[in-house]
Formats: sequence, C-alpha cells, structure tokens
Amino acid sequence: MIKLNPKLSQKLSYTILFLATVLAVVPVVVIIFIIIKNGASAITWEFLTSMPKDGMRGGGILPAILGTLSIVTCAIAITLPIGVCAAIYLSEYAKNNLLTRIVKLAIVNLAGVPSVVYGLFGLAIFVMFLKLGVSIIAGALTLSIMELPVIITTSRSALNSVPYSFREASLSLGVSRWQTVRYIVLPNAIPGILTGAILSISRISGETATILFTAAAFSVPHLPHSVLDQVMTLPYHLYIISTQIPNMPENVIFGTALVLLLMVLTMSFVAIVTRIYFRKRRKW
Amino acid sequence: MVDKIKVKDLSCYYNKKCVLESLSINIAQNEILSIIGPANSGKTTFLRTLNRMNDLDVTYSRTGKVYLVGDNIFDMNMENLRKRIGMLFAMPIPLPVSIYENIIYAPKRLGLISKKSEQDAIVEQALKDASLWNEVKDRLSSSAMKLSGGQQQRLCIARILAINPEVILFDEPCSGLDPISTAKVEESMIELKQRYTIVLVTNNVKQASRVSSRTAFFLMGKLVEIDKTDRLFVSPKEKRTEDYITGRFG
Repeated sequence: MIKLNPKLSQKLSYTILFLATVLAVVPVVVIIFIIIKNGASAITWEFLTSMPKDGMRGGGILPAILGTLSIVTCAIAITLPIGVCAAIYLSEYAKNNLLTRIVKLAIVNLAGVPSVVYGLFGLAIFVMFLKLGVSIIAGALTLSIMELPVIITTSRSALNSVPYSFREASLSLGVSRWQTVRYIVLPNAIPGILTGAILSISRISGETATILFTAAAFSVPHLPHSVLDQVMTLPYHLYIISTQIPNMPENVIFGTALVLLLMVLTMSFVAIVTRIYFRKRRKW
Repeated sequence: MVDKIKVKDLSCYYNKKCVLESLSINIAQNEILSIIGPANSGKTTFLRTLNRMNDLDVTYSRTGKVYLVGDNIFDMNMENLRKRIGMLFAMPIPLPVSIYENIIYAPKRLGLISKKSEQDAIVEQALKDASLWNEVKDRLSSSAMKLSGGQQQRLCIARILAINPEVILFDEPCSGLDPISTAKVEESMIELKQRYTIVLVTNNVKQASRVSSRTAFFLMGKLVEIDKTDRLFVSPKEKRTEDYITGRFG
C-alpha cells in the first residue's frame, strides 16, 4: 500500500468529501434553474386563475391547483387526528410487549411501501368496493392511509422528545395520565408534530401515482363542486400536458411544474419557520 | 405518637431480583424520618413504593402491605394516593411554564380550585410556605426554568404544598445543590414538619442528623437499625451503623 503523507491525505479526503457535497447540491440547483428559466414567462395572473383553453394549450391551470389543494386538505384533515391519536397511544399508553413491538415495526415498514401499491389498494377499496368512484374523497382517503405511518412516526418522535421527567413530575402530583398527556406532553410536542404534518402535506402535494388511480381526471370542464367530484391535479396535469398533447407550448409545461414546485417549497419553508419559531419559544 | 404510615413485611423486586427485603417500619405523624444508607440499599425504591411511582416501571414487583392511616395504599386509586403522598425528586423538575403556572397546575387539574380568584391566594401561600415568595413575587409570570437550582427545588416543594398532601417524600432533595441552597431547603423542611409527615432519603449523613427526629439505616435492601436520631448517632446498637455514620464505608 502506498503511504501518503498526512498533509496530502488530509487534502485528498477533504476534496473528495467536498466534491460529494457539490454533486448532491448541483442537480437540485440546475433543476430549479431550468424550471424557472423556462417556466417563469408562463406565470401570469390569468394562468393561475382561469380554466384551460385550446385543448389545454392555453388558458390557465386553476382547476388543477384547486384539485390538488382540495385533495391535500381533505387528506391531512383525515390523517393528522388519527395519526396523532395513534402516536399518543403507542408512546404513552401501550405496554411494551411483543404485540406493540410488532405494530411499531409494521408502521415503520408501511412507510416504505411504494405509492403505486397504495393507489391500487385505494382503487379496490374506496373507488370500487365503497363505490366512492374516482373522486376527491377517494383520493384523499388513499393518501391519508399512505401518509398515516409517516405522521405516526414523526408524532411519536416528537412525543418521545419531551423529557420523561416532566411526565413523572406531573404524575407525582396526583394528576392523571391523560391530563399529563393533554396538558404537559402534547403542548411540548406540538412543534414536532406540526413540522411532520407540514412536510407530509408537501410530500402528498406532489404525489402522482395514488391520485392517478383514485381521484384524477384527464380534463374536467368545471371546478370541483363536492368531494365526490373527479378533479384535475397538478402532478397528473403536468404528466398529461408533457406526454399526451402534441404541440404543447414549452413554457406552459414548465410553468405548471414551477407552480407545483413553489407550492411544495412553500410548505417546506413554512415547516422550517414553524420549527424555528417553536424552538425559540421552548424553555427547556 | 400516631402512626401515619405502617409498612408490613414489604419486599420489592426489579426483574425478580430482590432490592428490598421484608421491611416493616412505622412512620409517625408530623415526624421527619430520615433514611440513610449507601447506594443500592433500597432507600429510593422504598420511597417510590410509598407513592407508587414505581408502578410505572414494568420490571418492578412487590409483596407486603403499606397502610396510610388504615387504608392499604396498593388498593387505593393511584391519583388519590399521590395527592395524599407528595414526592420531591433528587433533581428539581420544574414544568416548562411560568412560576405561577407551575404552582397552580396540579390544583387546577385535580379540581381543587372552584373560583379563579382563589388561585392567587394558593400561589402566594404555597410560595411563602416554601420560603420562596420574597425571591420571586415580582416575576411570577417568568419561566420557572430561569430560576437557580435551589430556587427550582423550593418551587417544586411549593408545587406539592399547593395540593396540601398529608405526607411528603424527599428523595435526596439536596444532592445537586450548594450548601446555602441546601440550608434553605432544610429550613423549609423543619418548618413543614408542623403540618406534614416527612420521609427524607439522603446520602448526606449530617443532613439526617440536622433535620430528622428519627433515622433509619438501610443496607443491601435491609433495615439494619431505626432509632431516635440523637440516639442513633451517639450510640448505635449495630456495628455496621456505626461504621457507616462515622464514614468508615459507604
């Protein structure tokens, strides 16, 4: 083996580590740059607030934006309360026996199931068996099931980050377990739970495969009226206009991608700000 | 003297390993009973059995009986028991809210306050009884986390006093405090003896001799000797007690 002198090996390893970091960052920057460069010209007030025209080649993408927003809102409204309750049960109440350990393991692994599998499941259960049809509610339910393991996992780690001694102090004063959870543990875990929830929202905003089976339509000539309506969604709309429609103006495609990207990035940004805000307020 | 707590043949185990062996002991009303002994002698286990904090530990089990004025504590509702037997931990654990909220937390949750106007009175009285009032009266709404260690520990005492228990358990309450803070905590302990029954677990033999009326010496999970404090420190019956209090081991 060649023996490098310490100075040289230090320089070499530094260079390799630095290059790896650059390699990780560059593609992201390039993607964002290309999308902004090609899409910015399409973003106008009309683009954001009107219906598509000329076989989607003109007009706006309002129905797709609203479709995505309504599905995501419904999904998070369903999954957050259930996920937080399950997390509280698992962290604060469940005895640490074999069954609990299996459940916890299953939850962690469920988060790794491909979304297209969830989509197929949603199609079978919600769309066909429960006869909800291809609709906002079917899509939202499918997304909530997909997101539930993530919400439970992030909420559990938020609950576990509250020091055990706080619980002990509260219990030792004769306060019941539920009140301890309600008044001591939950208020201190909320920042973590919120951050997890917001990141989940941004993740499901871009979700395509599940929606494809359960909620999305090629084109809907009107805005959604009820949760039983089919809707257009941004990710699916993007797929359609970039593969199915000939002579599509490029700036519309990139403009749509830019809107989706901005939505997701805004969510992540809100998550970061929330976390900083609560961390500053935290007193321990 | 009236017995407040009667312990009958109590044995405690962690993972089936015995850490406290057939202990029988009586604790009189309005006394301060000190429990001294080296590490692993079962002192803290005994204390945490008295208000059943140990019931949270799944590896813990026990046999025997403990009576709190006639009621077996193992048949009682845990919340009721802990309201009657308060506990102060070795490290001060203020809740991450204001000083005021720390005191009022348990009375509120236990439904001891009917009117909001009563709150101020309870907070003031509890802080005065824990001799903390003068130091914090101008900043009740600031975070309890900003207090010094000694102040935090007295805040924790005030928090217990606010629910007006019958017995207070002190688990090495001064192990993390400087001598001046320790003196203040000891002062309030002696003050509290008038109204409460106190059990003090301490690693500090001198502290036991300063504050308690009776002292018990635990060793390896067994009660070796219990007697009036002045008698135990002057003429212990057991050789092992003498060795410990004179500092020959432990």
